Amino acid sequence: MTLTREQLTGRLVLNAVLPVIRVMLEDDERMKDRFADVTGTVQFEADDPDGKIGAWLLFDRGKFEVTQGFTENPDVLFSFSSLKAMNDMFRGKPVLPRLGALLPALMKKPGLVIRVFKVLFGLKLLMPAAKPKNAEQAHLKVKMTLYMVSTALSQMNKAGDTDMQAWTAKQPERIYQWSVDGTDIACYLKVKAGKTKAGRGVHTGRKPFVHMSFKSVDAALPVLANTIDTVSAIGQGLVLSDGSPEYGGKLGDFMMKVANLLS
Amino acid sequence: METASTLTWTIYDADKMTQREIYGLVLTDLGRQHPKIVGLSADLAKSTKIGTFGDAYPDRFFNFGIAEQNMFGAAAGLAKAGLIPFVSTMSAFASMRACEFVRTDICYQNLNVKIIATHGGMSFGSGGSTHHANEDLSIIRAFPNLTVVAPADTIETALAVKKCMDIQGPVYIRIGRGFEPRIYESEEYGFEIGKAHELRSGTDITIIATGNTVFHAVQAADIMNKNSGLSVRVLNMHTLKPIDQDAVLKALVETRRLLTVEDHSVIGGLGSAVADVIAASGKGCAFNKLGVPDTFCPHGNPEDLMHMYKIDTDGIIETVGELMQRDFEEDEDWEDEV
Repeated sequence: MTLTREQLTGRLVLNAVLPVIRVMLEDDERMKDRFADVTGTVQFEADDPDGKIGAWLLFDRGKFEVTQGFTENPDVLFSFSSLKAMNDMFRGKPVLPRLGALLPALMKKPGLVIRVFKVLFGLKLLMPAAKPKNAEQAHLKVKMTLYMVSTALSQMNKAGDTDMQAWTAKQPERIYQWSVDGTDIACYLKVKAGKTKAGRGVHTGRKPFVHMSFKSVDAALPVLANTIDTVSAIGQGLVLSDGSPEYGGKLGDFMMKVANLLS
Repeated sequence: METASTLTWTIYDADKMTQREIYGLVLTDLGRQHPKIVGLSADLAKSTKIGTFGDAYPDRFFNFGIAEQNMFGAAAGLAKAGLIPFVSTMSAFASMRACEFVRTDICYQNLNVKIIATHGGMSFGSGGSTHHANEDLSIIRAFPNLTVVAPADTIETALAVKKCMDIQGPVYIRIGRGFEPRIYESEEYGFEIGKAHELRSGTDITIIATGNTVFHAVQAADIMNKNSGLSVRVLNMHTLKPIDQDAVLKALVETRRLLTVEDHSVIGGLGSAVADVIAASGKGCAFNKLGVPDTFCPHGNPEDLMHMYKIDTDGIIETVGELMQRDFEEDEDWEDEV
């Protein structure tokens, strides 16, 4: 089944955007403190003609998990009338979930709701135009963005994106690696005969087929904010692309597609 | 200092010459610089081209007739006397007919004898099994103290012959019969005995080739890259012993798929040497060896024989295709994603 633009974006939101909340909870000290003693479940769901889709978050004293699907009796329910409405909220547009669904949580667990809103507000850092206020935020933005994009690319393939599937189908086992020099930021996309999987860290199983290594967090920011194209960034020494230029270029096209879907 | 005008060959000649011819000329140049070099032949001065040296230095050249054992025995004595014998005959005779003399007289005493073995592998295709040398690497690789080199083309042959002078001990250089395709454009690519040379970078698979199969490995890599985007690393493993373990391990870790190609039996040659390194590493990979299977091969043109045993461009492409499909570890849980 071919997914509509909003269905594909919805899949990316639930499978690629929500999971990077973990980065905030682990790397952002203030966020870490906020959730240190918090337990609760948060359901996201959106109506769609092909059936409701959703994912739920579990906060458990600093631990965090995202599970696709639905949980019974969530502590907080973010319910949207359409996939577009949910997607638009994550695109940074002024869209709110159904208040009727959110109201019980506001009455019973207002503290959890406020904390979750702060997390969602924090996800705004993923917006290309969002400017980090300090070095810590810059590090967070680059890390969250690269982690989100690597997972989104895999999800795009799994969702049946025609171009992505055609690109992955004929490839042997390959690693597309991203990293930022001198930091802990590293993630990869593994491809094998039409299958994909995103991972964190430096893949040690084989040499990457393409490795985009950013010189620094500051060097990565303009590339991820789309204020400079990759070719120019390579020319300026902001990023080193080691490996096949053709496949690296195509990967860049898919990264741009993810950015367009989420903005 | 040597100048180009004093040399008996130039880089431009390499395109037109065989490995044997370039060997003869380089040895003649070396003979001028090193008075202790002597040349030994067993009635094959013309075929092995050591006759070029003999023509230039007749008083330092000895023809033993068809008596290879005597020749290698005498080479040991000459080396003991402080001379540097270059001994040339066909690979089949150096490694098999004179086997014990090479082993016991030369290698056992770690003597400074340079064995330039021509007509390696199936390069003397029409000579048949008596003149094919599909076992020489397997036999002589087992001799302690012996360095074993199989240059890929004429330029590399020239370098190997010159560089073997730096080794104080026995060296076996295996070259072909003639008209080996040229790979290198100049001598300036960092040839070093014991260090593989990466001719193509790649991450999908590594082809490790030696001798005259290196040309086909490069051709195959370029075709596969152009036609299907496959990223193929090509290593010219010109030194069989000591094998460049670091290069093999790097290829193993970085590409996880390896194919060896050699004009030699699949038993005991390059493929076996690489397999030893892989096995000792304890790392899994997809691996295959291309070479002559456990059989005596028929008479024929070298090109036809190489095609028959898939050690040419077509055969390498076909085998790489098979190797790329082979699973060697448990598959990922592709749904378990971060």
